[in-house]
Amino acid sequence: MKAIQVKQVGGPEAMEVVELPIPQPKANEAVVKLAASGVNFIDVYHREGRYKVALPFIPGQEGAGVVTEVGAEVKSVKAGDRVAWSGPLGSYAEYAALPVDRLVPIPHSVSDQQAAAAMLQGMTAHYLSHDTFPLKKGETALVHAAAGGVGLLLVQMAHNIGARVIATVSNEAKANLASEAGADEIILYTHADFEVETKRLTGGKGVDVVYDSVGKTTFDKGLNILRPRGMMVLFGGSSGAVPPFDLITLSHKGSLYVTRPTLANYIATRQDLLARSSAVFNMVAAGKLKLRIEHTYPLAEAQRAHRELEGRKTTGKLLLIP
Amino acid sequence: MKAIRVQHTGGPEVMELEEVPVPKPKPAEAVVKVAVAGVNSIDGYFRDGRFRTPLPFIPGQEGAGVVVEVGAQAKTVKVGDRVAWSGVLGSYAEFVVSPEEHLVPVPESISDEQAAASMVHGLTAHYLVNDAHKLKAGETALVHAAAGGVGLLLVQMARAIGARVIGTVSSDEKAQLAREAGANEVIVFTRNDFEAEVKRLTEGKGVEVVYDGVGKATFEKNLNVMRLRGMLVLYGMSSGPVLPVDPARLSEKGSLYMARTTLAHFTATRAELLARTSALFDMIADGS
Repeated sequence: MKAIQVKQVGGPEAMEVVELPIPQPKANEAVVKLAASGVNFIDVYHREGRYKVALPFIPGQEGAGVVTEVGAEVKSVKAGDRVAWSGPLGSYAEYAALPVDRLVPIPHSVSDQQAAAAMLQGMTAHYLSHDTFPLKKGETALVHAAAGGVGLLLVQMAHNIGARVIATVSNEAKANLASEAGADEIILYTHADFEVETKRLTGGKGVDVVYDSVGKTTFDKGLNILRPRGMMVLFGGSSGAVPPFDLITLSHKGSLYVTRPTLANYIATRQDLLARSSAVFNMVAAGKLKLRIEHTYPLAEAQRAHRELEGRKTTGKLLLIP
Repeated sequence: MKAIRVQHTGGPEVMELEEVPVPKPKPAEAVVKVAVAGVNSIDGYFRDGRFRTPLPFIPGQEGAGVVVEVGAQAKTVKVGDRVAWSGVLGSYAEFVVSPEEHLVPVPESISDEQAAASMVHGLTAHYLVNDAHKLKAGETALVHAAAGGVGLLLVQMARAIGARVIGTVSSDEKAQLAREAGANEVIVFTRNDFEAEVKRLTEGKGVEVVYDGVGKATFEKNLNVMRLRGMLVLYGMSSGPVLPVDPARLSEKGSLYMARTTLAHFTATRAELLARTSALFDMIADGS
């Protein structure tokens, strides 16, 4: 089979197309023929060596396809089942052997590409808006990087719940996307200070929750625009890691809450994973969650996909098609 | 009138007994003859300068007494009303002047001592279990300093909700008090490591919530005794302030939540203050 392999960490060129044997399933694994593989920033971190993985490895943590073979002890899936996953490494390939407890069934009404595109970002947006801080109708949320992969889905979900969404974006094109996704207010943070604007838009009261994947450059100001007892949900650090901070700040700024969640802790049990993936697939099937699948690349062009992702030239989801 | 005043911050000796004029009320204020003033850790933080307030000042944030004079625009209280308060600086005195919206009525079934004693500690325990983390039946809470002023009340309220309570205390004597308040498990932390004990008592799962008024000394281990997505509510720092925290640690330890709370934010509106106080006085009056 064809696969992308990283033999030593580095730039996009570290990803080579190689010919490898189709993997064999272990007792609790299934082999899946991939229909689509999701491209995510975490793949770049693995490729660069920022997150360590044993070399050589096949990148990619997200995909969808059809089961072709199962291990001796597997009962939950069989050959022919359509499945999707997020987490296990090795999806930049024509086939992948995967632990079956991480595979979720794809309903008929959801395509392979939609399933691959929804797993990581869709489930992330879902746990943020439904569990980390369960948004309620009438509450106000500030969403940073609202035109990003998770951002656009989070805005839609928050809007569907009936919350008011204030979105920050860097340019007009992204402002349009956030607006189409349902953001009530857009702040172009390159033109206007988001702290001042958010205070103005909330009549000085502040927001109930800040969803922040930007980190270093937005964290402190984010604390200033939370209402008393509001919550800062820090779920990424695209501008760099937030440095250690003094907890007394939280008290001075209004008995605030801070959490730093990761998807793995919100799909920790099989039951959580199935419930969350099916909730997201149902939203997609019902047309309530629009996935922007605007960038698909042949598997062999993984390097180009990474270059475009890192160059911030893309919006929405990038997929590799084997 | 007699009052305790702090001219400059420092140790207990900076509090001096002085003769000062009885305060006069502004339009929306009332003057109260203090029957009892509560003594709280926060008074120490103001006295030693950890929390700032202009000098000189009369310490004390809590008390109960009778209204003796009201300002021209005061509407909610009148002369002769029995009232209690928290969050009004100046209670270590014979008379204190307070914005009328901070004064709550004291029912007949509650004594001045009970009212004064319950304002800060009782309201704190109440917001901790009902709002800071809304404790539910079947959840497990770790309560540090379970025999302390807030601790004993927190344990009782948590048990009344139906939660399982693990308390930490420093001595066998305090362990007895915490047990009498209803703690299911008590760890004497001077003898046993609370991290190891909590893990054992929860079969490695950890607790849903940690209520911590201790701060520095307990912080690191707290992060290891919470279940996935558990909540640490820091409401004090009797052992000193917690060192700055790297937020990434919250994700490494299992998508944890952390709050640093103060009572003022949980009694911010008049409606909330009245609701919380009356819930508290009801619990005292009916003995629960």
